[in-house]
Amino acid sequence: MKELIEHGIKPLDGAKKRDGRKWNLMEKLFLGLPLDQYVGQVLRNKFNWLLGIIFAVGIPLIIYRFIFGLGSVTHSSYDYPWGLFLGFGLFCMVPLSASGFMLGTTVEIFGRHDFEPIERLALLNGLLGYLFAVVYLLVDLGQPWRLSYPMIYAWGPAAVLFLVGWHVAVYLSVQVAEVSVSFFEWIGWPNAKKFIRKGTIGLTVSGIILSTLHQGALGALFTYAPGKVHPLWYSAEFQWIHFFTSSIPGGLCMVIAVSTIVIKTMAWRCDDRFKDNLNQLTLKLAKGAAMGLITYLVIKLIAVAHDNEWVYLATGWGTWYLVEMLLGVILPLILFAYSIRHKLVSVARVGAFLTIFGIVLNRLNTALITFNWKLYQEIPHVFEVIISITIFAIYIAVYRFILNRLPILYAWKAQTSEVPVTAEVPVSAQEQEQEYPARA
Amino acid sequence: MFVASSLNLRGVFLLLISLLLAVNSYAMDAPETVQINALANYYEPVEFDHQLHVDVSGDCSVCHHHTTGTGTTDLYCSKCHGQFEEMVTVSCADCHSAEPFSAESIHRQSQQDLFHVDMNGLMGAYHQNCLGCHQEMDGPTGCQECHARTEAGDKLYHSGEFAPKAPESAASH
Amino acid sequence: MSNVSRRKFLAGGLAGGAAVMLAPAKKALAAGSFTGFPDGMGVLVDLTRCVGCRSCEAACNKEQNLPAPELPFDDLSVFDQTFHHGTQKRRPTEDAYTVVNRYEPENLDKPVYRKIQCNHCNEPSCLTSCFVNAYTKTPEGAVIYNSKVCVGCRTCMVACPFHIPAYSYSKVLDPIVKKCIFCYDSRVKHGKPPACVEICPAQALTFGKRKDLLKIAKMRIKKAPDKYQPEIYGENQVGGTGWLYLSEAPFEQVGFDTTLQKEPIIDNVKGFLGMVPMVLAIWPALFTGFHLLATKHKDHGHDDSHVEEEEQ
Repeated sequence: MKELIEHGIKPLDGAKKRDGRKWNLMEKLFLGLPLDQYVGQVLRNKFNWLLGIIFAVGIPLIIYRFIFGLGSVTHSSYDYPWGLFLGFGLFCMVPLSASGFMLGTTVEIFGRHDFEPIERLALLNGLLGYLFAVVYLLVDLGQPWRLSYPMIYAWGPAAVLFLVGWHVAVYLSVQVAEVSVSFFEWIGWPNAKKFIRKGTIGLTVSGIILSTLHQGALGALFTYAPGKVHPLWYSAEFQWIHFFTSSIPGGLCMVIAVSTIVIKTMAWRCDDRFKDNLNQLTLKLAKGAAMGLITYLVIKLIAVAHDNEWVYLATGWGTWYLVEMLLGVILPLILFAYSIRHKLVSVARVGAFLTIFGIVLNRLNTALITFNWKLYQEIPHVFEVIISITIFAIYIAVYRFILNRLPILYAWKAQTSEVPVTAEVPVSAQEQEQEYPARA
Repeated sequence: MFVASSLNLRGVFLLLISLLLAVNSYAMDAPETVQINALANYYEPVEFDHQLHVDVSGDCSVCHHHTTGTGTTDLYCSKCHGQFEEMVTVSCADCHSAEPFSAESIHRQSQQDLFHVDMNGLMGAYHQNCLGCHQEMDGPTGCQECHARTEAGDKLYHSGEFAPKAPESAASH
Repeated sequence: MSNVSRRKFLAGGLAGGAAVMLAPAKKALAAGSFTGFPDGMGVLVDLTRCVGCRSCEAACNKEQNLPAPELPFDDLSVFDQTFHHGTQKRRPTEDAYTVVNRYEPENLDKPVYRKIQCNHCNEPSCLTSCFVNAYTKTPEGAVIYNSKVCVGCRTCMVACPFHIPAYSYSKVLDPIVKKCIFCYDSRVKHGKPPACVEICPAQALTFGKRKDLLKIAKMRIKKAPDKYQPEIYGENQVGGTGWLYLSEAPFEQVGFDTTLQKEPIIDNVKGFLGMVPMVLAIWPALFTGFHLLATKHKDHGHDDSHVEEEEQ
């Protein structure tokens, strides 16, 4: 794509072509490029080769799982019923997808419109994270075709998972609605967009309610198994608070991380508003994440004190706990503090990636590694690892597909030379239009 | 008592098998055959050498508690049953029910003002009474050493001719 | 809103409130903890009596139509089997709802045999955690499972403190949870003892009402205090279980988890679950309030609320 842009070809970023005619859906899907150019740039992209290899190995494995059953691709056992699909796919991806409600609240509830350039990216991140968490769940469930049962057929309302199921389902709808604004802009349905925008406050508040509860509920799930999770990772009273609080820096840092990847690999897609504001937005997000992290650190220490678990810190598991806190919480805190003070965006970015690593590690520790700490250790099956990576690759591919097309990183131009749809951007003089490639 | 070889006695015992069930016998050398509903399916009836056990134990109360009139060595029982009187109920089946978990038996368990509420069924009484001594005195302790399994029993235990043929791979654990 | 309708609303509200208060008060529902259905059945497992004959495993296999085992049920070499590098003995599987294991505790010259199966808790953890209500604690005391609604999330397997539920991972189209169901459909529902209890030759298993079994167990301990540990396992663990155990050796030496909490597992989630409707009720006003406070007089900044949409 970069090559094409160097040759003066501009990707589709508005409703109309230079000559005033509207783009149609197929042309929009192909980014306004003729087919041969589009395919050419797809094939030239080395990342796609990596994705191709992963899909070639992983997708047959996923089909294999559905033909031969869970026992054939996992080490899921009677003692270890949950493996990587839930341990990573659900428990890790959900806190990292908290960006949706975080940025939605920041912009819509607290009125901080300076975050608007990155809001849509955060919302998309939230939607795709939850969507693929559900995909992982469908791969993991014994009878995935019964996924709707807790909604419509058999209710077990005293179960924490009941809450999780309902909330994730409703929250997905909320997020689809929030992201649909970009979609309606792109596809050219302004009335639908107006309709959704009217409910923004309501949708955002619903998002906060649902997120608070199900982020916490995922933690509360582990209070069903008090003896099975190692005491340092377990807290009878505070487990849900730990999970909820850590989701806040998780979501914020995921936005930083994704925006970093985006600006490094697909800067062509980002408009000036995004590019100019990204650095200071990153630092602002880092501030929020830092506050979340310090709070998380304190409540983790409170939990250790509350259950008088200090003696466990001297054990092997204790060392592992300290490693997780050091790498995932304390070090990022230091990096964030330093980067905010000295306005060093790249340092903040390193902190963000470390935070994500820390949250992933914490969830994997709780769900897999220290689970059944008194029993033998279970190592996931290699097929499980491959399938998890494959689904994550599909997630990245879908993410990229949407970012390339929908007005998430750039503002949608209603007319070719008109002001872009969002009002924040200072109106630039007549856009210097490049020649559009000849239509086939 | 007439002196007879053990072989003769065995023959007498077998003849009197059917009588035992209907009639309470006070004879010291009454034969016994176990006919418990649940296990009779799976194991053959036991051919129990009563006289041998009379000789080996030397004291009726070792097996018959306090019912035979020889007194009891158990301190707990003797609190109420210290007398040296033969009781109406002597044989095992008289007190130990063949169906210990019938509705009546379970109801009896609730009657906490009764004594002997925690009473073994007939099968349990036999095995508990027999196995302890057998283990100490090198008697038969294996199931089939006392009673051979029937075909139904082989089927239940998936043993003998019903044993699994080819070893399968171990079920995932 | 006119004054009339507001008045009407208040009047109606007061009338309704008065009606509720004047209505005959419902008898106060039992407070405190659930300690089992009053006539719930249980089984007392006396480990001093079990001889390790495995007849119970055979009877269960027949009664529940389980697949043929790998080894005959009278093959005692299974007691030497270990798993996961010698750290685990046998456990119930999708094909065996109950297993017997052998333990050699210190200070005892004879081995101890322990029967493992679902303990049919008073407040089962599996039931608590199931989001499709697949588990039921019947008044007879059995904890049974409805495979028709099970989605296969396997939370019950995480929740069970005794690691009991097994899952038929080998099945593709209908994998379900497999565990002892107390022979509910075929026996206990009709007042008959489960198959394992009926066949046990040494009557190591005693079937009866749980409350009576507790008294019987305490009587056994009282009559022979040298023979038994002074505790009945299952009396208090995780709120009490239907299957109770007596042992001569300390329970942790014969494979029991003695670190379990006394309270039922549901107590662990009550705090969080109680908080849920609070959040649902409070958050809307809280965050709408934040919104109004934070954005008063501020331009919302969106094009759509204040600026006409551009014509496409």
